[in-house]
Amino acid sequence: MNDSIATVFIVDDDPSVVKALARLLRSAGFNTATFASAEAFLALYDKDAPGCLVLDVAMPGMNGLELQQALIALGSELPIIFLTGNGDIPMSVRAIKQGAVDFLTKPVHDIDLIAAIHEGFKRDEITRQARITLNGLQQRLALLTPRELEVMGHVVSGKKNKQIADILGTAEKTIKIHRAHLLMKLQVKSLPELVKLAEQLGVVAGTNNLFI
Amino acid sequence: MLVAVSLTLALQHLFIWLIQARQWAHLALSLTALAVAIMIGMEYSGMRAANVNQLATILRWVHLPFFVTFVAMIYFVRHYFGVGRLWLAWTACGLRLFVLVINFTTGQNLFFKEITHLKPLVVFGGETVVIAQGVLNPWYVIGPISILALVVFVLDASLMLWRKGGGAGRLFVFNSITFFMLAAVVHLGLVNAGLLNSPYLVSLSFMPALIAMSYTLSYDVMRSVKLADQLQASETELRKNEQRMALAISAAELGVWEWDVVHDEIWSNDKGRALFGIPGRERISFSRFLGTLHKDDRALLKCRVDQSLAGGGDYEGEYRVVLPDGQIRWFTTHSHLEFDSHHCPLRMYGVSIDITQRKQAAQALIKQGNKQTHLARATLLGELSMALAHELNQPLAAILSNAQAAQRFLLRKESQLCEVQEILEDIIADNKRASEVILRLRLLLRNDEVQYQRLDINEVVADVVKLVRFDLEGRHISITTTLAEQLPTVLGDQVLLQQVLLNLILNGSDAAASVSHVDQTSISIRTCCDGNVVKVCVGDQGPGITTKDMAHIFEPFFTTKPHGLGLGLSICRTLIKSHNGQLWAENNPDGGANFYFTLPAYFCERR
Repeated sequence: MNDSIATVFIVDDDPSVVKALARLLRSAGFNTATFASAEAFLALYDKDAPGCLVLDVAMPGMNGLELQQALIALGSELPIIFLTGNGDIPMSVRAIKQGAVDFLTKPVHDIDLIAAIHEGFKRDEITRQARITLNGLQQRLALLTPRELEVMGHVVSGKKNKQIADILGTAEKTIKIHRAHLLMKLQVKSLPELVKLAEQLGVVAGTNNLFI
Repeated sequence: MLVAVSLTLALQHLFIWLIQARQWAHLALSLTALAVAIMIGMEYSGMRAANVNQLATILRWVHLPFFVTFVAMIYFVRHYFGVGRLWLAWTACGLRLFVLVINFTTGQNLFFKEITHLKPLVVFGGETVVIAQGVLNPWYVIGPISILALVVFVLDASLMLWRKGGGAGRLFVFNSITFFMLAAVVHLGLVNAGLLNSPYLVSLSFMPALIAMSYTLSYDVMRSVKLADQLQASETELRKNEQRMALAISAAELGVWEWDVVHDEIWSNDKGRALFGIPGRERISFSRFLGTLHKDDRALLKCRVDQSLAGGGDYEGEYRVVLPDGQIRWFTTHSHLEFDSHHCPLRMYGVSIDITQRKQAAQALIKQGNKQTHLARATLLGELSMALAHELNQPLAAILSNAQAAQRFLLRKESQLCEVQEILEDIIADNKRASEVILRLRLLLRNDEVQYQRLDINEVVADVVKLVRFDLEGRHISITTTLAEQLPTVLGDQVLLQQVLLNLILNGSDAAASVSHVDQTSISIRTCCDGNVVKVCVGDQGPGITTKDMAHIFEPFFTTKPHGLGLGLSICRTLIKSHNGQLWAENNPDGGANFYFTLPAYFCERR
């Protein structure tokens, strides 16, 4: 995953435009893959393939904006750079709000496009790194017993060991042991670190069930 | 008194005859009346004769006026009524002449060999008259026979007149002549046979006939006077009409002319000469007239006139005339030809009207129509502007990217000339593509004269599909074409036919788009050959056309679209009509509407 080369995915119904864009990006040293329609791209979409999407707005069948919606629905965070011949402002605002990297007008200048692609790659890298970190944390969290998870919830909400013992109806000593175990499993050394981790994982205080 | 009446009549008709010398009937009647008057006078004096010799002389000479009356009456019947057999007339006249001869050659007169004495006779009123007594002339029977001949002639004539349908008044003349003549004959017979004591009163029997004849003549005179009045009135009317006509001709600025084909000379009114710029005195021949025409119109007019002269009917036509100052005027001419009995043309006459203003107005109207069509086309293209901009933008985008890619390739140390070569080929292809879009647009936006040429309707359809494809795709409307192979060509203006197709397709797509529940809808275009015409159908899957709208969709300013002008279809129909084709709409049984148009096939044989 991580070691595969970032690719620029180009989706445009106009064969000569696709060809020219791919050629330009290859000349700038990018790895490219071309698709003649939104549907063709969706069919081959691989969530784990790194890169960004250069997407034409106006296409027969599914158009660019519809493809964006479809990708969001799939939980994809692939950065999108829109290309359009006649994009209006509301359309571009909507696209950007939905997370598009940029909204460029055809004919597009190489510098603008390449800059946007670099930006896209950067974002993709960040989201991918974040996902990797999160995945590690989740794996660590999965090591906790239900009791330890329960204790953790109370700890991050700022309760003393004594208070937690009272709530759970057990001895303060037992809570201390749980606490030490969960810190070890989660590989954190201090309470502030634990709180930060809980935030990242979305652990909510006071509940028995913790979810990512 | 009777004498006075007769003399009056005689004078009256003599007078009429003097005025109208040709009316010989009046002279005849006048003579008859005069003779009758003399006869009456003589018979009257005979009744008062003092002695035998005096009476004998009177009775002898009275046959002279009788003869005149006799002949004049026959002449009157023959000449005035135009009836009666000539041989009967001559027989009667001959007999009477014979009587006259006998009268003067035998005895004392026709009736008496010798009058022996006078017999006094008391007539009504207590007056005493004398009548002759003596030895009868044996020849006297010729007298009544001649009168009978007259009666036969008159009766025969009256029968002819009756068969011809003569008026009652005229028949009355004949009847009175017949009746009183017969009465005279009977009276004469009775007196001469000694059965009746009466003086000779032959002249009296002529009176009624005379009056009847006079009545007829007078009636005719009255009528002719009346006719003359009417004639005068109608002449006045005619003159007025002529004046009105002349006024109309001058007001309408008509050139009126007549061409003597045999002598090749054209007469024209002054206006005509002025219109054609020919001086007043100059002789006009047909070739001189041809010389005034615009050189492009001469051959055609001469050909048409030759056709007319050869019996091809009257000439009507329009042509241009170049005036001496170089000004060009349009004329229309209506003419009529006259032929002699051998079908050789004699005369051609007609009118020529300057229609320059009308022509200019008509041309302005055509220009106006062209302008309107052009405007509608520009509006249609306006609807497509987004799509067209995209069509143009795509190749430009490709060109830019390709060019920049080439720059980058060339900057690399290991230059990839192969790649650059490919890029340049692609750039050229995209440039061509953009040019074609512009060419199509320019063609549709041009505002030239209509240019008819042989066209393959399938190519026209393909061109239009290229133009609208992107616009329809943006609206999720697909377009399918079913084009018949080996279609005959049609004669048409490429741009105008493209306009019609464009209009029908965009209408169809608007209709299709109005049906919201259908995700993907399509426009279908089909071409086929149907007999002598090429038929094109544009079908949509919209809601169809309501029965109410169906009657109005081709009317100008009728529209069902919120922002439509309502000119599209009416212009389309006009354009197709100008191609001698038809445009109509039908609802598809499976939903949607089909618009059809036909164009006459230019070639019967297949391509």
